[in-house]
Amino acid sequence: MRTSLFITCYNDTLYPETGRAVVRLLERLGVTVEFNAGQTCCGQMHANTGFRGEAFSQAKRLVRLYQDAETVVIPSSSCVAMIRDQYPLLFDELGNDAVRRDFATLLPRIYELSEFLIDKLGVDDVGAYFPHRVTYHASCHGLRGLHLGDRPFRLLAKVRGLDEVMLPNLDRCCGFGGTFSIKNAEVSSAMLAVKLQDIAATGAEYCTALDNSCLMHLGGAMHRQYAGMKTIHMAQILASTETTPAEVFA
Amino acid sequence: MSVAAGHRAVLDPELASPFPIAAEVELRNPQLRKNVAHAIDVIQAKRGRLVAEKTDWQQLRSAASAIRAHALENLGEYLAEFETRCTAAGGVVHWARDAAEARKIIVDLLRQENASEVIKIKTMTSAEIQLNPALEAAGVSVFETDLAEIILQLGDDEPSHIVVPALHVNRSQVREIFARRMGLPELSDDPRALTAAARNYLRRKFLDIPTAISGANFLIAETGGVAIVESEGNGRMCLTLPRTMITLAGIEKVLPRYQDLEVMLQVLARSATGERMNPYTSLWTGVTPGDGPQRFHVVLLDNGRSAILGKKTERQTLKCIRCGACQNACPVYRQTGGHAYGSVYGGPIGAILTPQLMRLEHAQTLPFASSLCGACYEVCPVKINIPEVLIELRAQVVDQERKQAGRVFDPMYLGMRAAGFVFMSAGRFRLAQWLGRAGLRLFTRKDGWIHALPSLGARWTGTRDLRGLPKQTFHEWWAQRGKEGS
Amino acid sequence: MSTQISSRQLILDSVRAATERLPKQTAGWTELPRRYMRRGSLDAEARLRLMTERLREYDAEVVECAPGDLPAAVAARLAASGRHSFVAPEGLPGEWMAAGFDWKIDHALPTPEIETVEGVLTAATCGVAESGTIVLHHSAAEGRRVLTLLPDFHLCVLRASQVVETLPEYFDRCHTAPPLVTWISGPSATADIEMTRIKGVHGPRFLAVILVRDEV
Repeated sequence: MRTSLFITCYNDTLYPETGRAVVRLLERLGVTVEFNAGQTCCGQMHANTGFRGEAFSQAKRLVRLYQDAETVVIPSSSCVAMIRDQYPLLFDELGNDAVRRDFATLLPRIYELSEFLIDKLGVDDVGAYFPHRVTYHASCHGLRGLHLGDRPFRLLAKVRGLDEVMLPNLDRCCGFGGTFSIKNAEVSSAMLAVKLQDIAATGAEYCTALDNSCLMHLGGAMHRQYAGMKTIHMAQILASTETTPAEVFA
Repeated sequence: MSVAAGHRAVLDPELASPFPIAAEVELRNPQLRKNVAHAIDVIQAKRGRLVAEKTDWQQLRSAASAIRAHALENLGEYLAEFETRCTAAGGVVHWARDAAEARKIIVDLLRQENASEVIKIKTMTSAEIQLNPALEAAGVSVFETDLAEIILQLGDDEPSHIVVPALHVNRSQVREIFARRMGLPELSDDPRALTAAARNYLRRKFLDIPTAISGANFLIAETGGVAIVESEGNGRMCLTLPRTMITLAGIEKVLPRYQDLEVMLQVLARSATGERMNPYTSLWTGVTPGDGPQRFHVVLLDNGRSAILGKKTERQTLKCIRCGACQNACPVYRQTGGHAYGSVYGGPIGAILTPQLMRLEHAQTLPFASSLCGACYEVCPVKINIPEVLIELRAQVVDQERKQAGRVFDPMYLGMRAAGFVFMSAGRFRLAQWLGRAGLRLFTRKDGWIHALPSLGARWTGTRDLRGLPKQTFHEWWAQRGKEGS
Repeated sequence: MSTQISSRQLILDSVRAATERLPKQTAGWTELPRRYMRRGSLDAEARLRLMTERLREYDAEVVECAPGDLPAAVAARLAASGRHSFVAPEGLPGEWMAAGFDWKIDHALPTPEIETVEGVLTAATCGVAESGTIVLHHSAAEGRRVLTLLPDFHLCVLRASQVVETLPEYFDRCHTAPPLVTWISGPSATADIEMTRIKGVHGPRFLAVILVRDEV
């Protein structure tokens, strides 16, 4: 089985360790990982900030880039939601029949990471070892956009040594919201403060999620406040074994 | 700004502060945040239990959404039918293109009645058209009869929630207002005592004032009926005892048939107050001799609604049945309360409705007052895809703003345009990453983290650190791995 | 007057232009999706139990009686209420007006007189068990709306045959839509002060229901 990794613009730049973890994990599971070096961004930041024309251009470019990929795996639920929910609207409004056709053939081949593992590979035990107390934050796009449901929990449940603690109000938004975190920094920070209280209440060492965007926001505050907790993308937990433990920076 | 802060909130979108600024003021009010969170938690818990119990909840939502969408698609026919039936039953139907016309119609009707006082049932629509000040200016004393509206009226305050408008006010604040304005210095802050004080305050007014003003939850086209959904009974008082009733309703309130209430009533009560059914729902049709007001007027209000109706993505905004569930689910609203939105409609529905009613000439910051978490869409009983409308409105605001001379050098616009250019080429993207890494090194401390950034970046680093850019992007690692053949 | 006509025309023209601009996405009214529960699944006994349970959750008092015992049940309930003056709708069955109480019959009674009575006795049109709702159509035996609004105590006679499980079943029974309807689901309440539920703001604070077992 082959898959083409869409690492996402911010993971590429800020969290390459997440990408390394995805590669290590998938190769361990017998998947050949390809990487199209032409990739940049899915256009979500522009779409959500009102720069529709720019978003459309990036969307078209992404569709063209992955035309021949067997499957595309993306370790970011917000980017997958962008492709599934907003690309149709953009292409309806600004595209033509050709791009709509190409998109229609690409769409079923797009997978968020936990979807790829559970739905495509049919596994929930990926042979991981991560002996820490962990709490899972359900990022909004994964929860309500992709309806990931219990996939993340099924994967975490099979990680040896992992002590999972349920996060209170786990479905409440962390306050990142993309450029919302800048344009409405005060409200974003208030939402963040509330979220950190819930995370701290679990006594977890790590807060994990399927989106580094939320984790950048949560982890940034944890670091600022010397909070004694760190964030880590679930790919890194799942890639972690006794012999190659996870790369952790927080 | 609540009563406690000593300021009156400005709920006029033409005058209100931009959301980020208004929100910051509210965030600094711990009493407000506590009151709002408490109110929300109570309703959400009740709603959650009832939704779990209602095994056909999703089917009800689908039906409610379809009924509302169908009514909007055929709005002209249904409005005309409503007018015909209501008139045949003895009502008089008036049409108001905008707020000013609606105010004029109502003031003229009150003059015809020689009315110097009116009793009012809570209606957000009347606040939307700023009716009360116009009535007062015309020499008519207005007496709100909803407990929350009395609290706000006597406290010189503004509503902060569609269903529980005074949720930002706690009992001691209410006690202070009632003691002062009702002349009850000995009044305790027990909610029971406060409610009894309001009951006494209103009793004579219900019986003596012959003219009432109401809104409408639903207008029934098939019969010309008007439905009002309430909890306290003040609605029943106002629609039964006076001689004249004037009902103000947005044109989007129409339902096709009486039977459609079987869906709408089930979803409204559970969404608004977390009850299977609210205490009192009343329906009346025109005039019934010997029972209730013998003079009945309906003022149908456009005020921007027909413009919204004609837009593909935005039309769904008009499906709203004003349940407030979106406000209760919203993590932004939870922190700021309603006043931050600078409009009688706050929270998620306010963020899409108010800018549209203002034709995007005001309230342009409201579509951005959201993290797009989608919790509102999940709970909306008529399935308004609020995030979709928010994104659409953001695009329209940006299209409007980017043409303005002042925006060319706005860091946000500059940054977004540059990013768009960069993302269209892998080469430019890698160059930008390299430049970013080099530039941010200046700000990166020994521990590998950035604690302070200038300009827009300062809005991040104000409360959060940012990890410094790693020395290798994923691209670079992959390329290196390829060369190493591993 | 002519401004009024033109406002109406302008709005309707604006609405028509708006609705014609976009293709229709919903079906005709009769084809709208209604996959929600239209009919209940409880048998008659369970339905009545549910109605009673929901009414009692609202602190309404509920007693049952056989059809023949109705006048006696009414008399007992009125006596138990500790009240003496009652108003009766114009078309209330005479045998319900128990002796030993002050009865005012509503022949267009002026409001100040209705204000002075302590309670009201009415029939009902329907009971919806799922939500404990009593539906009044304000027929002759149910009375004008003011009668069930001003007095503090409402004694309502509800027949078992009038009780349905779900709200759609009530609407099924309405072959023509009535001009006046009041749906009552508990005494009035407010939660406007700190979400503390206070009952009995306006309208009767006390509701008692006699459930007449007119079905076997």
